[in-house]
Amino acid sequence: MIELKNINKIYEVNEQHRVEALKNIDLTVKQGEVVVLKGASGSGKSTILSLIAGLSKPTSGEVVVDSKKISKLPDNFATIYRRENIGFIFQKYNLIPTLSVSDNILLPLVPLNLDTKELDTKLNSVLEMFNIAHKKDSIVKNLSGGEQQRVAIARANINEPKIIIADEPTANLDKELSLDFIEQVNGLKKSGKTIVIATHDPLFFNLDFVDREIGVDNGEINL
Amino acid sequence: MILSPEVLTIFILNLIFALFGTIAFYLSVKIYFGWDLESSSKKQYKLEKQSFLTATIIKYIFAIKVPLFLFFVFTIDKISNVLTGAMCGAGVIDATSYGIYLLILKIINLYLFAYWLVLHSQDMKDEKQRFTKVKFGFFSIIFLLFISELIIESLMFGAIDVDKMVSCCGTIYSATSSSYISTIFQVKSYILLASFYGVFLLMILSYIFKNKYLYAFLNMLFIFSSLVSLIVFFGTYIYELPTHHCPFCLLQKDYYYIGYLLYTTLFLGTFYGLITGFLPSSKTIVKNNFNKSLFFNIVYVVIISLYPIVYFLKNGVWL
Repeated sequence: MIELKNINKIYEVNEQHRVEALKNIDLTVKQGEVVVLKGASGSGKSTILSLIAGLSKPTSGEVVVDSKKISKLPDNFATIYRRENIGFIFQKYNLIPTLSVSDNILLPLVPLNLDTKELDTKLNSVLEMFNIAHKKDSIVKNLSGGEQQRVAIARANINEPKIIIADEPTANLDKELSLDFIEQVNGLKKSGKTIVIATHDPLFFNLDFVDREIGVDNGEINL
Repeated sequence: MILSPEVLTIFILNLIFALFGTIAFYLSVKIYFGWDLESSSKKQYKLEKQSFLTATIIKYIFAIKVPLFLFFVFTIDKISNVLTGAMCGAGVIDATSYGIYLLILKIINLYLFAYWLVLHSQDMKDEKQRFTKVKFGFFSIIFLLFISELIIESLMFGAIDVDKMVSCCGTIYSATSSSYISTIFQVKSYILLASFYGVFLLMILSYIFKNKYLYAFLNMLFIFSSLVSLIVFFGTYIYELPTHHCPFCLLQKDYYYIGYLLYTTLFLGTFYGLITGFLPSSKTIVKNNFNKSLFFNIVYVVIISLYPIVYFLKNGVWL
């Protein structure tokens, strides 16, 4: 379970210029839930995601994931938490264009020093799951946008995370590919993952498998 | 006052140290009094960020301080060329009343900073950051010694009079010396050697029985017995001269810079030995520190013992 308790986040550029990104946010996401955070650009959606992922710390308040205070973890422990619990899907995929599909997907496993057999098993499993086995040796820059997003989802799942975080995942995809992506999110929900998506893509609204849609406006939550 | 390029370098670095050290001190005091890891307040999050900044400053000061200590030794050795009477760094240290206090303070600070680093490394491995308050409280205290060192260093270089004749190491480190150093020559060599090797053997026993407190205490004794036996006995075999006892000349090229190796192994061995008793840590870390300490201490004892043995094998007599 993910809990955000009385979160405030202020970005201080300098003494005169400070941006209040989140204001007294309280939010709970239960295990296995799919939650869509919707709102305009700059509303604070991505900040919420970065706090859940332990990428940044709040100015005040607490982020608790499965009874662990993520916001209180020192950086090196936050890194381990992310590696073990979080899968990221980004708007621009964030793949390494000159590496192959397999190498990109295996990247999160590098620090774990797994043996080749175990790496192959995990790789084949996600390649099959996301229908990209036939492209495993292709160089990423030669793939289409939809294929690249599939590689990104496969990479996010290779370490079998409990939580999937997606930040504007369909912003670079056309409608058909976006619907394909949504179908894959549905598949991930069925496998028991907790999924938090920040988007302003209307395709994500009123979906059957989405448990909650939460509006974020000017750093505040509109339930 | 002496203003060689080396001394100027030390002055400039000291100024930078003083500036950043003061910032680290201010933040350390703030963290020490305000730290509450359980709190999710704005103040606590700010302190957490500042703790990383402060630790980084202290780490960098130490990272520069270790080579700077060697540079200091090199500098006093070089200055000895322009001081009439001085043959090595000993003459420069003895040239002013600050020299010996500065040297002692520098060595103590080296041990304290190294201890701080180990404390910090333990803290970084602990999710609950149990040592944060302790390490910043500890830095607040050692900062005062650190600043004292910088002041005494400036006073020492400022007080050196290049026109004044100073004593050479042969005079300072002799039984006829007017300083307190002469007292160590009153002790018989066999008593010194018995205490040196005795402490070393006890250290090995306490290592075997893994008594960390006794081991740390013996390491403290080992520092003194090593330095005194080096000056009174082993040094003469390094120089192959029964009347020469200087602990500085062995840092020179004529003796293949062996002093750097000897002092480094002695420092590392005794440092790891001391922290086995003074650092609350897991059994694995204590075991690692035990092993590192014993390794460096053995290297020191083997090297220093080889000098008289080799001399005897070559010449058939003892000095």
